[in-house]
Amino acid sequence: MLELRPILSALWRHKISALLIAVQLGLTLAIVGNATVVIQERIERIARPTGVAVTDIVTAQFMPIAKNYDRLEAFRLDLDMIRQLPGVAAATVSRAPLTGGGSGTGLYTAPNQEIGATGGAQFWGDEHLIDALGMKLVAGRAFTPNDITEASFSSGWRPNMAIVTQQLADKLFANGEALGQSIYFSGEDNPIEIVGIVERNLGPWPNSHNAGSTVFFPAVMDTQWFDYVVRAEPGQREAVAKLLEEKLAERDPQRVVAVNLLEDKLDRYYAGDNTMIQVLSGVVSMLTFIVALGIVGLTVFWITQRQKQIGVRRALGASRSAISRYFLLENLMIATTGIVLGTAAAQIFNRFLASEFEQPALPLSTTAICALILFGISLAAALVPALRAANISPAMATRSV
Amino acid sequence: MLKMHNVRKSYRTDTIETHALRDFSLEVNEGEFVSVTGPSGSGKTTFLNIAGLLETPTGGQYLLDGQDVSDLNDRDRSRLRNEKIGFIFQGFNLIPDLDLFDNIDVPLRYRGFNAKERKKRIEKVLEQVGLSARARHLPAQLSGGQQQRVAIARALAGEPRFLLADEPTGNLDSLMARQVMELLEFINEWGTTIVMVTHDPDLARRAHRNIQIVDGQVADLRLQSALGEAVTA
Ligand SMILES: Nc1ncnc2c1ncn2[C@@H]1O[C@H](COP(=O)(O)OP(=O)(O)O)[C@@H](O)[C@H]1O
Ligand SMILES: [Mg+2]
Repeated sequence: MLELRPILSALWRHKISALLIAVQLGLTLAIVGNATVVIQERIERIARPTGVAVTDIVTAQFMPIAKNYDRLEAFRLDLDMIRQLPGVAAATVSRAPLTGGGSGTGLYTAPNQEIGATGGAQFWGDEHLIDALGMKLVAGRAFTPNDITEASFSSGWRPNMAIVTQQLADKLFANGEALGQSIYFSGEDNPIEIVGIVERNLGPWPNSHNAGSTVFFPAVMDTQWFDYVVRAEPGQREAVAKLLEEKLAERDPQRVVAVNLLEDKLDRYYAGDNTMIQVLSGVVSMLTFIVALGIVGLTVFWITQRQKQIGVRRALGASRSAISRYFLLENLMIATTGIVLGTAAAQIFNRFLASEFEQPALPLSTTAICALILFGISLAAALVPALRAANISPAMATRSV
Repeated sequence: MLKMHNVRKSYRTDTIETHALRDFSLEVNEGEFVSVTGPSGSGKTTFLNIAGLLETPTGGQYLLDGQDVSDLNDRDRSRLRNEKIGFIFQGFNLIPDLDLFDNIDVPLRYRGFNAKERKKRIEKVLEQVGLSARARHLPAQLSGGQQQRVAIARALAGEPRFLLADEPTGNLDSLMARQVMELLEFINEWGTTIVMVTHDPDLARRAHRNIQIVDGQVADLRLQSALGEAVTA
């Protein structure tokens, strides 16, 4: 038997404190809801497949001490050496993806165009590129040794073929027939044939809006912005990293060598997102804790205040469970009010965040889940005091003054 | 109606054990109006609490309406309280946040009556205590005598067979006390058994029978004739 109306009218006489808790709950919901979408978005972003064997890849660079260093010669000798090392599955010289550094380009599907480019990130690499990155070829072919040119940025070299990611292929050729088609650089008429399509590669900047649109050209580029990309056999990356450090220094001591795990670099790239997740999770837990504390406090206060009334109700025939139920129902009403207020506030808050800070939209389902959880927390917070209220003796009606 | 045999009640605190009732034996018959007097701290309230199932005795036997109530669980005790017993307290004990109508409604809701039945009963008892016009007033808007009449109405609404009153006139001036007493007598005439604790010898004398509790036991004063001296002593 529910007694909603009398609870409501009794509550109405304490509307200020009831409303304060409801408003606190509502604000908590508004903040928690909006924090949750941000957390969710960041978590999903970090968890996206990269298209690359992140956990197996070791990267290495060197800085030559000598001027006029023959970098291309060093690449040849280093790679020959690296590919012989135990635990190495594949190696190339290119640039490590997912690390926040790289270069971008604009591509066209017709020659001599200057507006409406499709943006993408570009990499150069040899015939080992796909294998070394652990990418999956879904159409066409990989580069062959004959395709590879040794080039430099100043040489004016232009590729005649490319491998693209599926995403870039779909962007360039919406009809889905990218393989065998030609693409062009801005204002140029040199055709670049798409010879292969890989499933995915998030490129240098996973958080950029067109991350995943990536193109690979068949070249070993003479540039200081390079990485050896070395894919270790599963579980071998630490051993391979150690070996690389040793052997690269050993082969030519006249340079400074830096070896990294790709996963560490990716973690560093996502550090901001991870901090955001942690801070927001902290805020969410703290607010939830505070609102729970407020509810415990108010419930305890009201029960203490109404000890006599509880005794009277018991004397008039209320069972222990009827007393607990009373306070839980009361809490339910406050929580419902708070959640209705909070759902509205969450939407308003979200509109503001979305327009001012480009935050993701708050779907009703997320609000609903947060509301449900807060509802549960609110009930749980009231539960212990409510159960204890049932222990108040009916003799309270005659004993206390 | 009520039969207590060698009922004991002791309260244990860290330091001392108080024997509020010891070998307390008493019988109250159906339809009786019994007044209970005795010095402060003698165990009157303890007796009423046990009689009204607000507390459980430490030992002894208590039969309510022929039913041994010592081993009932909380649910059954609550139900018995709700159905058979009406309480009137010295401090009225109306729920301050509820208006008169809702106050009287409290035990009826625990009883599980439907809204129509409850409304009918509430209107009837409000009429009986002469406060129909005040149904939507809060207790604080009423005088003490009026509040006690509402409390009586609340106790009567469930039509209990047994009415327990702990100093119902204790907080009232003598005129209001007399009105309340008349109301109780009227209720008793209609068949409700009443046990009333009071400090007022005049009111005590108006009952069918007065028992005096001294030191947790019934002082053997059954004779109506001895009453006057007993109370004033
Ligand atoms: N909850 C309790 N804890 C300890 N002692 C109690 C409690 N209730 C009553 N007493 C003691 O029991 C005795 C009887 O009390 P009570 O029945 O209230 O007396 P009366 O109503 O006749 O004044 C008193 O000594 C009182 O202090
Ligand atoms: Mg007393």
